[in-house]
Amino acid sequence: MSYGSTIALKPVDLTLYDGVTGLFGPNGAGKSTLLRVLTGLLRPSAGAALLHGDEIRSSDESIRRRIGYLGHEAGLYPRLSVLENLELFSDLHGLARGRVSEIIEQLDMGEWRATRVAALSAGLKRRAAVARAVLHEPDVLLLDEPYANLDDDASERVSATVQTWRAPGRVAVIATHGAKRVKAFADAGIIIQRGNVISYRRRTPTGYEVAT
Amino acid sequence: MAERGFVGKTSVLIRKDLLVELRGRDTLPPMLAFCVTVALLLAFSLPGNTVMQDAVEVPIGTIAIADVIAGFLWITILFAGLIGFARTFEVDRAEGALDALLLVPLDRSGLFAAKALSNLVYIVVVQLVLVPVFALFFSLGLGADWLVLVLVIALVDIGFVAVGTLFASLAAQTRSRELILPVLALPALVPIFLAAVELTSDLFMGGGFEAVAARGWFGVLIVFDLVFATVGALTFEFAID
Repeated sequence: MSYGSTIALKPVDLTLYDGVTGLFGPNGAGKSTLLRVLTGLLRPSAGAALLHGDEIRSSDESIRRRIGYLGHEAGLYPRLSVLENLELFSDLHGLARGRVSEIIEQLDMGEWRATRVAALSAGLKRRAAVARAVLHEPDVLLLDEPYANLDDDASERVSATVQTWRAPGRVAVIATHGAKRVKAFADAGIIIQRGNVISYRRRTPTGYEVAT
Repeated sequence: MAERGFVGKTSVLIRKDLLVELRGRDTLPPMLAFCVTVALLLAFSLPGNTVMQDAVEVPIGTIAIADVIAGFLWITILFAGLIGFARTFEVDRAEGALDALLLVPLDRSGLFAAKALSNLVYIVVVQLVLVPVFALFFSLGLGADWLVLVLVIALVDIGFVAVGTLFASLAAQTRSRELILPVLALPALVPIFLAAVELTSDLFMGGGFEAVAARGWFGVLIVFDLVFATVGALTFEFAID
């Protein structure tokens, strides 16, 4: 995957398994590019990302329904309140109204539900964004730096939300340059540097094993 | 709750766009300011006490004032529309909401319809202000032919927003989108605005519906609307992705 003459991601060949996979690496390593390829929003220069054998393309409605994505930006409308934003995406995904209240509670956003997103602090905005990404309980959850600007308490809530979302058949990839928090509950870890996957290991009852 | 269908989800998106505009007032005020300014300048620049059947002297000869007024009316609407269309996806680009929107389970044609209908609302609001201002400044007395003018405006608007929304989605992918949009859209809009000016000019000259319809411009508008509404809905996916 390249942007002009810059190669952001070199050929990657791996299978993601159920559970949470941490995607670790320094800034500019290619984490965000890999996540965007996995959403289908970015088409790879060559090859394809597959979900149960079907190519992931953002133009495919049945694939979109199964993906939850949080990018660098919040993916929310600044002039709408937290509640209005979540209700908007809830309506578009065809969810029951109760789900919005549930996720607001889960991320402890009740106090700010009527606050416009533009007026939220960076940390609160990130929490609202995580709520938007997991709202429809996707099978594939792709979170890019979900802990950015979060204090410890808020980070714990995000981790707890991911843990609650976790279920058989669901895959999460959490990209972060600070591995510690995700390592605590991840089932696998990928280390990426300068566009190369240099390590992919899965947690086993006895330790870690190399994954492919 | 049963999942909303195509129309329900499209309505949700239109409501969102209008609510955001109501709170931000980023799109309509510049469109309206442009229109009122042009109407005022025109009112002061045309000869006083002109009536529709008068001819005015221009360096290349004489021209019916009705043609001038009709031309300026539609040029004003055209550029006001381009100001608005250039902002079609700005509201979604802020904070990366466009990515989130592109991942919801709604056919891309629904997104196109929502954006086109939101743009249609802005254009109609502009026309609700501009046409009475023109009527006041230039003593447009159409009698019962106002209804024909409304029909002309409606037919022009459909094609206009279809083309504007489609090209706005292409321009949205570029850095200099506000410059790119007119370059892409203006050539495609020539036929529809030609028809609009011809029909409106005929009406201002006192031709009724039958006389105006006899010239065939309604057919041009209807074909244009059908072609671009269909092309827009079908190709929007490739433009926005």
